[in-house]
Amino acid sequence: MILRQPTTRRLANARSIGGNLCARFVLLSCLVGALSAVDTPVLAAIRVSPVKVSLDSPESSQQLLVFGPRDDGSERDMTDVVSYRVVDPRIAVVDQGGILRPLKEGRTEVVVSLRQEQMRVPVMVTGLTSPRPVSFQSEVIPILTKSRCNSGGCHGKAEGQNGFRLSIFGFDAAADHSALLKESRGRRISPAFPERSLLLRKGTSEMPHGGGRKFVKGSARYQRLVRWIAEGSRFDSQDAESSRIVSIEVEPKLQILFGGESQQLRVTAIDSSGRRHCVTLETEFESNAGSIAEVDERGLVQASHIPGEAAILVRHLGHVAVCRITLPRPGVKITRPPETNFIDKLVWDKLQRLGIEPSDLASDAEFMRRAFLDTTGTLPNADEVRAFLKDTAADKRSKLIDNLLARSEYADYWTMHWLDLLRADQLKVTPQGTVAMQRWLRKQFADNVPYDRFARQLLTQQGSTLAEGPGAFYKAITKPDELSRSFSQLLLGVRIECAQCHHHPSERWSQTDYVGLAGFFTGVKLKKLPDGSQAIVSQGGRDLPHPRSGEVVTARALGAAPAIFDGVTDRRQLLADWMVDRDNPFFARSIANRLWAHYLGRGVVEPIDDMRDTNPATNEPLLKALADHLHDVNFDLKAFTRTLLNSRVYQLSSRSNTSNRDDNQNFSHAAYKALPAEVLLDAISYSTGVPEKFNGWPQGYRAVQVWDNRMPSYFFRIFGRPVRASVCECERSNEPSIAQALHLLNSPEIMQKIQHRRGRARQLAGRKLPPTSIIDELYLGTLGRYPRAEEKTLMLEAFTGDDIDRRAATEDVLWALLNSREFVYNH
Amino acid sequence: MLKVQIGQRRRQCCDGVSRRHALRLGTTSLLGGLALPQLLQLQAKAATKQAAKAKSCIFLFLEGGPPHQDMWDPKPAAPAEIRGPFSPIATNVPGTQVTNQLPLCAKMADKYTILRSHSHRDNGHTTGYHYVMTGRRANFADGDNPVPNNAFYPSVGSIVSRELGTKSEIPPYINLPHPMAGGGPGFYGAEHAPFVIEADPTQPDFEVKDLRPIAGLSQKRLSTRQKLLAGIEKLERNASRGRADVMSTYYEKAHRLITSPAAKKAFDIHAEPRAVRERYGSTQIGQCALLARRLVESGCRFVGVDAPGWDVHFNCFPSLQTDLIPYADRAFSALVTDLEERGLLDETLVVMMGEMGRTPRINAQAGRDHWSMAQTVIFAGGGTKPGQIIGATDKQAAAPATEPIGVNDLLFTIHTLMGIDPTRIYYGPLGRPVPITDGGKLIDALV
Repeated sequence: MILRQPTTRRLANARSIGGNLCARFVLLSCLVGALSAVDTPVLAAIRVSPVKVSLDSPESSQQLLVFGPRDDGSERDMTDVVSYRVVDPRIAVVDQGGILRPLKEGRTEVVVSLRQEQMRVPVMVTGLTSPRPVSFQSEVIPILTKSRCNSGGCHGKAEGQNGFRLSIFGFDAAADHSALLKESRGRRISPAFPERSLLLRKGTSEMPHGGGRKFVKGSARYQRLVRWIAEGSRFDSQDAESSRIVSIEVEPKLQILFGGESQQLRVTAIDSSGRRHCVTLETEFESNAGSIAEVDERGLVQASHIPGEAAILVRHLGHVAVCRITLPRPGVKITRPPETNFIDKLVWDKLQRLGIEPSDLASDAEFMRRAFLDTTGTLPNADEVRAFLKDTAADKRSKLIDNLLARSEYADYWTMHWLDLLRADQLKVTPQGTVAMQRWLRKQFADNVPYDRFARQLLTQQGSTLAEGPGAFYKAITKPDELSRSFSQLLLGVRIECAQCHHHPSERWSQTDYVGLAGFFTGVKLKKLPDGSQAIVSQGGRDLPHPRSGEVVTARALGAAPAIFDGVTDRRQLLADWMVDRDNPFFARSIANRLWAHYLGRGVVEPIDDMRDTNPATNEPLLKALADHLHDVNFDLKAFTRTLLNSRVYQLSSRSNTSNRDDNQNFSHAAYKALPAEVLLDAISYSTGVPEKFNGWPQGYRAVQVWDNRMPSYFFRIFGRPVRASVCECERSNEPSIAQALHLLNSPEIMQKIQHRRGRARQLAGRKLPPTSIIDELYLGTLGRYPRAEEKTLMLEAFTGDDIDRRAATEDVLWALLNSREFVYNH
Repeated sequence: MLKVQIGQRRRQCCDGVSRRHALRLGTTSLLGGLALPQLLQLQAKAATKQAAKAKSCIFLFLEGGPPHQDMWDPKPAAPAEIRGPFSPIATNVPGTQVTNQLPLCAKMADKYTILRSHSHRDNGHTTGYHYVMTGRRANFADGDNPVPNNAFYPSVGSIVSRELGTKSEIPPYINLPHPMAGGGPGFYGAEHAPFVIEADPTQPDFEVKDLRPIAGLSQKRLSTRQKLLAGIEKLERNASRGRADVMSTYYEKAHRLITSPAAKKAFDIHAEPRAVRERYGSTQIGQCALLARRLVESGCRFVGVDAPGWDVHFNCFPSLQTDLIPYADRAFSALVTDLEERGLLDETLVVMMGEMGRTPRINAQAGRDHWSMAQTVIFAGGGTKPGQIIGATDKQAAAPATEPIGVNDLLFTIHTLMGIDPTRIYYGPLGRPVPITDGGKLIDALV
């Protein structure tokens, strides 16, 4: 049987004891007891769905769902708590998980009971004596998918596995059908002796099979395959059109679960004639947040004890549905902090629903260091910190935000960021090309050019790749489809590269969309100029053929109608028009999410450039409002950033409380963010008072300003400076390593900075300052705050003793501060 | 004891927080809040099917492409422009011959196995390197690419690091004496990147970067520093609670590395008796092999030694004869003998190979060019059957005359010997499944 005992299933123990009613009774009473007193019949009504069952083929099944009331009036899943009995056991059989299967044509009832309470569901079984023929397309493919035969690690990979190749997740049913029937001299299917077919003997592991046993002999999956072969291995049934599945539904769509509860899902497929049948057992389930809710292959969702939200993705034959599970903290009523703007309202709304208390407001010093590092990639200097802490104005945080956004370091920092994203690898686009792009980017951010204009220029750049502008991007990426998919990821947050090779059944984008988008870039050429440099020219262009069918696909933007290029010389202009339009569903969301992730440490959608139905936002109203706001301020990035930084959400402390400690996706407290390699090096240089010397560069450049991504640097290498090989933010590694820690703790390079004769430590030690003042200065210059009393006491230990060397003591305190987590992270 | 913890990933690379990603990350404690059942599940999945024979692997990579016909696969009957100037000699295994450039290895051919039928189709250096280390063809052109060049696919060393983890304070995956171009972690992330010892162990001042105590710091100052740092973190941790609990342990690992006597001892090649150092040869490959032995003795799982210089296009025989083959001959024979004498050979797999072999015909510049169609790979220890020859090439040493053994067959076998399930799947940033090896099968004759 394919009904594997799900390991996470509640009461699994009781069931494995089988008929041990006693054990089950005990558990049941406990459960009921947990809801209310055992003796009072509170469970007034259980609800069973569906109200009647029709099973119309030998391998069909129906998942029953049973709900019971909670105290608060909501419903909870009772599917595997109740007991089931089929009145006429010759007609159908039901298991403890609520799955009903046919045995013989006829009518009967299934009795669902919980203690004294009973519900009866009529059951009708038809189609067993002369069943509808099995359709390969809609009934065999799901078996191959659910059994993972056609997964990317197995026969679904491009070259197949051991000579047997299937399309990945069965997106090309016709090719799979012919692979089974025609290849390998027809051994895979044996019409005369269906059970001797290689497909079945390998699949059941009767013959040695690298992938192991995929289905059990005699199971419904097995029986359906046997019947399909016996019926002549048809590709489609006669009524193909009317039995084509047009959509799927998952029940429930939204469910609140409390810690440790579970919920059985049911998936129903609807065909074009409107017929519905249960496909729960032929569906794939996946949770996007397994730490919050897990789902097993039968669709049983098991909640953990961590409050939060999880989306359970449900996939069947290329259709996707989502069930959202919310785990509130039980019985928590949060106090909503004040709201500065719409961001706070939407975040508090979500936290309230989850019962998560936001953290307190960050202190002035914490806020200041964070805002400096986030907007400018630099640390505040000691005087700035002192002045800010002394300032008593109510709006001093807003003023600081305005001040930071006006600084040239803001432009430097975002320039570096975009040089990475725009793949300004000097080896590939030449140093001149990199500098040309750097100068252009710097101007964009310094002048605060609206983002839609910025994107349009990026998309439609013409002329020399060495002229100030983003032209080098077209030198780094030259093929039309690579350009289109890079722009898609970069500007729309939509990754379409999977669709280059196949239509991923859980995704919206097909190969048609892929080549359709590439069609906008087919007119782009790099023309050689007399001086040996290159110029981008974009005119004309052609529509590209579909990689499988060969049919020409008219250029089209994602989800848009085919483009009409009448009188348009540069096809890209039309794409730019579509992109920056207020109705574009991706453009504003993508940049809003990108900026949000930069400042808050995590996108509302994460990964930030992977927006799709199956990767929902953790706070959809928030993301929508952010995107709308960006339109409202006409893509003024500084204005948008100002709103963001003025929100209380941004200004929350990184210190968690007991209620939000485990939350890492609802912005209940500030995140610890790793400093990018360049920012960390600049921070160390600033804190030690010893600027870094970059080989071949004039003194005074900060690491953030160094455009040369190929400059050899051990520090950059181990701290994960990107090599600019992709448009993905993920290329910048924020992951810690032993080498990093070793370098900070114990390297001669850092040591030289700490001990430098013109460095901060020696300067301070040489001034007539008491140790407490030295410690104050060191704290201000590294962590951007005064030491707390207990910290001062601790640090003074370096200065106490018989033979105290002030310089050594100052260096030791500085060393300790540079290696503290508070220094190495932005929090 | 200093206990400092930093390091919390800001974003988990490109991946979201899906269940399979959380599982594949293998760093669940960093993410925080993983439910117990998941952890148990993770552990269950991590348990491997076969009992491992090899606990560690030393991978000697002869970068550039060693000429198989001038070393392990002599063709005395071939014309002079193919067979080259070297002649075959007998080994201590009857019937097995190697060239006269390998006199030391010839005396102990019963301790290793010569696989002559390795063949693949990537004739580039960096692309071939990438292919050998990851089992996947490179998606970049040969040449201008960064180190490490395996931006997506993890190398065999990173896989071993992930699957087997650490055994001691020594990092599980180490590269010597510089990073291996194809040896990076790919999408597995920095956690599984090699710890690179960027120093030449032949030098008298050899030391591991950032490991030596800073000059001029007295013991008293060192302990003051540790006290201060531990104090800061303690105060900070008390203040921030939850978050601090899930911070990674890298600082602690680094500190253990700095302070642990065992680690210090492992890296201290100067502690070896002069006779042992000379036995391996005063060469980079020799001293790296010796250091590799020290590292696996101390618990490292995978040491990749990059021994460059084998790209012998021009006038190759003098250099092969003087400073390439003899150095490798000495290093390999000393390593295998030493491991055996210490009782470590059974649990240490030694593999020696390059990214390709070299052309059958000597070119006009008296050199040999790239030839990935045939290469000889040497295996010793770690549960392999020694004293054999596996496979054969044709008369010109141009292509396998027996069933070709591909890169993924080699990797499949290495993983299996180390108790790693080569078919295990992790999910890449786009959610695509990436099995540990891209197909391949066990080299039956070897195990």
